[in-house]
Amino acid sequence: MRKILVAVLSLGCVVAPCAAAAQVDDAARFEQGRQLYEAHCARCHGASGEGRPPAFPALSGNDRLADAAHVVGTIRQGAGNMPPFPALTADETASLAGYVRNAWTNGFGGVTIEEVDAVSAAFADPGPAASVWDGVFSEAQAMRGRGLYTGACSFCHGRRLNGAPDDPDMRSTPPLARARFLREWEGRSLATLFEYTRLTMPEDNPTSLTDAEYVDVIAYMLSVSGMPAGDGELPPDSRSLAQIEMRQRQ
Amino acid sequence: MAKNRDGDRDDPRLANEHGVSRRDFVRTGAAAGLGAGALLTPDPASAQGSASGAEDVTWDYEVDVVVAGGGCAGLTAAIRARDLGASVLVVDQNFDVGGRMLHSGAFVSLGGGDPVQQRDMKGEKDKEGLITVDPLEAPEELDDSVDLLFTDITDWSVVDPKGQSPYRYNERELARAWAENCPATRQFMIDNYVRFTRVSGTHGGGGLSRARGARCFLMLGDKTDIKAGTITAEDAGVADPERTSAFAPQQMNDARRQVGPNAVSNGVALSRSLEFSAREKGVEFMLHRRFADLVREQPFAGRVVGIRAHYSPRHHPESGELLQSFWRNGNVDERRETVTIRARRGIILASGGHAGNPQVRSMFYPAMREPAFPTSGVALQGPHGQDASALVAGLRVGANLAGMHQNLSYPTTFHISTRLGTKDAYTTMMPGHPTFGFRKAAGINVGSAGFEEFIAVNQVGKRFFNEVRLPARPGGSRYPGDGAAPGQGLDHKPLDWRNCQKKWVRESYDYDHGLDAALAMNEGSKAPDYHSGPLWAIFDQEAVERTGWEMRYPYVADNGYFFQADTIEELAAKIAAGHEFQRVPLSYLAETVARWNDCVDAGADPEFERHADAPMYRIDRPPFHALSIMVIWHDSYGGLRVNGRQQVVDMQGEVIPGLYAGGEAVGGFNKHGLGKGHVHGYIAGTHAAEEPSEQG
Repeated sequence: MRKILVAVLSLGCVVAPCAAAAQVDDAARFEQGRQLYEAHCARCHGASGEGRPPAFPALSGNDRLADAAHVVGTIRQGAGNMPPFPALTADETASLAGYVRNAWTNGFGGVTIEEVDAVSAAFADPGPAASVWDGVFSEAQAMRGRGLYTGACSFCHGRRLNGAPDDPDMRSTPPLARARFLREWEGRSLATLFEYTRLTMPEDNPTSLTDAEYVDVIAYMLSVSGMPAGDGELPPDSRSLAQIEMRQRQ
Repeated sequence: MAKNRDGDRDDPRLANEHGVSRRDFVRTGAAAGLGAGALLTPDPASAQGSASGAEDVTWDYEVDVVVAGGGCAGLTAAIRARDLGASVLVVDQNFDVGGRMLHSGAFVSLGGGDPVQQRDMKGEKDKEGLITVDPLEAPEELDDSVDLLFTDITDWSVVDPKGQSPYRYNERELARAWAENCPATRQFMIDNYVRFTRVSGTHGGGGLSRARGARCFLMLGDKTDIKAGTITAEDAGVADPERTSAFAPQQMNDARRQVGPNAVSNGVALSRSLEFSAREKGVEFMLHRRFADLVREQPFAGRVVGIRAHYSPRHHPESGELLQSFWRNGNVDERRETVTIRARRGIILASGGHAGNPQVRSMFYPAMREPAFPTSGVALQGPHGQDASALVAGLRVGANLAGMHQNLSYPTTFHISTRLGTKDAYTTMMPGHPTFGFRKAAGINVGSAGFEEFIAVNQVGKRFFNEVRLPARPGGSRYPGDGAAPGQGLDHKPLDWRNCQKKWVRESYDYDHGLDAALAMNEGSKAPDYHSGPLWAIFDQEAVERTGWEMRYPYVADNGYFFQADTIEELAAKIAAGHEFQRVPLSYLAETVARWNDCVDAGADPEFERHADAPMYRIDRPPFHALSIMVIWHDSYGGLRVNGRQQVVDMQGEVIPGLYAGGEAVGGFNKHGLGKGHVHGYIAGTHAAEEPSEQG
């Protein structure tokens, strides 16, 4: 907490008489940032920002976070393997950016909503948001995904996608469908799921499927979880997938 | 060299110079020795044993090399000895060949720069050109040597997440011989129709610094043809998700990622290929025949000259017919209660471990004397599978044991299965394989995640542990990592003391001990054994709908391991009446469920703190279900002490002449799975065949 206060003061945003109130406000903002980080970022970047290089860079001690506009832009728009998070409000984005810039060993200073707005103004409108229950994949895509799943995933995650491998010597793995899976991914975007899957799976050969194949597998996972098929297909593109949110229930 | 005293020259099989000499067979025309009734009483004069200390033994059969057990070590040993010119007879207690290898994942972890590692390093395809995908491992991960492999499998510094030191205690001579023979064994297997996929990782116990494991595969095709490397979808069990075939007790896995489109893999591709080769080369098999005893010249001295084996017929659980092996060429049909078989050159014990013998395994873990928990594959292998026969017979002639504590070092040795509702909770047979009926249902494999959906109770109906953590298993010590050392994969530094520094051991230690809680004594445990009794997963219809578990045949059946009722009281009564090892009533079940529902309402489980791990669900909507939760003792690590030639060693450190052993029958090498057995078989087969022939 001391760090963020120092950081905020160093930015000169807070005048002395308001320091006590600002501290409470900053603490709440830091806590909001921490919760957002745990929900959206920790799976890849680690609970303590340690990352999992080379797929997921460390955020703790990462000098690139010194550039606030770069941090905000990356969260809003994505970059490289990093999916965008357009569903976060400017307020949330400011909290999250402030958190990663000041948590752990970092001390790069806070981020204001105005800064977020300024950076976001340059980006195109991401389009309407949707949930996984809105018929976001087609039946044909799920069928393609089923074949790919059998070849690439079922050995470890089980024929029923329940994390029970057929080889009894193998330990269980995370389920990829139904209640438990949906609970784990609740509130996250399909872009996060896509990038995470693409960069970590199959465990012995990540990124060995094509981007289109990874989204086909995700379509199959959603269909097994009971989501309805629609007319369109899930596109192999993080920007579009970022608009689709995982929801346990309709 | 071989003696063929009964002069069966016109039987093509017997005309084989190295074939089994059945001196007590009398030809009866059409039966030609293969049907029942072909046997007459042996002629005592001509069937007397040699003038050794075993002279009172009447030999029924005589052969160069006898192999006890037709699994991964035995079948490899048999082919190898046959290649070197020996006549070979394999006796196996089951009705078909392959042992547990047939039901394995066929993940054969060898290394030391073996031919498959080298092929993948160079980016080459297999000789037949069946593999169409690129190598999965980078060349530096495959760059291996015998010395590095030897270092890895004797690396004192590795401490696994269970707090054990799996490599530290390995017998050096055994490990060295194994490492040196890995490349030759891989080539030998390839030469006997075994096709290996791309290398991917390593099996537990195979070392932490290089990728050494490859699976075995066949290609889907119009007919099953081992020479061509093809198998039909029906035989592979992939045509119908709810059927397996007589050829394959387990459905084969899609191997397109490690091979290419239409490739399927598992132990069927390995076991059937070796068996085909063995039969083609003239190895003979006496099935339904349980190895029981060794004949040594004197009780504790001289050569081991033969074996005694008992008839152990397995009959179809529904039709009552005698079960038959899939292939029968080379089978010796022998139905006498006991036969003696003389080995002119050597005897190779490859009859498996002790996991199926509760009395023997209790020397490692007294609570596992509980007979309610059979070994893995009890339906597939029958009551004599893994019955410690080699260990027991070896001790009777003076053999020493080795590595007796190493059972504690591997996470599959004993564990809680996530497959519920069936006695044999390890195997995956479906209707279509003749052994399916021995357990009547495949069970429901719920995975670890499925343990969030029920409460687990002991034989008196009380909860005993946080269900979510119950099936937790620590990782094996394997490449690339599994938490066994600070560095993973190529970053692992063998022999670095930091691998076992306190800080790291604390960090990696994550053993949950749910298994031990499951085996704990309770109010139903009675002297003298204090058995802990069976375990039950209790849930309601809501859970079934939440999870999509298919509560129907072939997954569940009226098999004594699955019960259903409209009230909890009725459920408890049905279990008590219908389960073979339920020795006491589940007196507390109704109370336990009521208390659980209170916990759910309160959002807290003060006894086992389950609320911290997963959501909790009430159990209140009938029908109520009970599925058995099984503790499985799978593999065995302690066993007979052998030297680097796989010769059994006695308690004075002297070799017992003529006696070899391999696979799970031996101790002193904490290496999981097939890789150990195949190399043991290769070494034992080599040396047994090279022994001078003892003339009777």
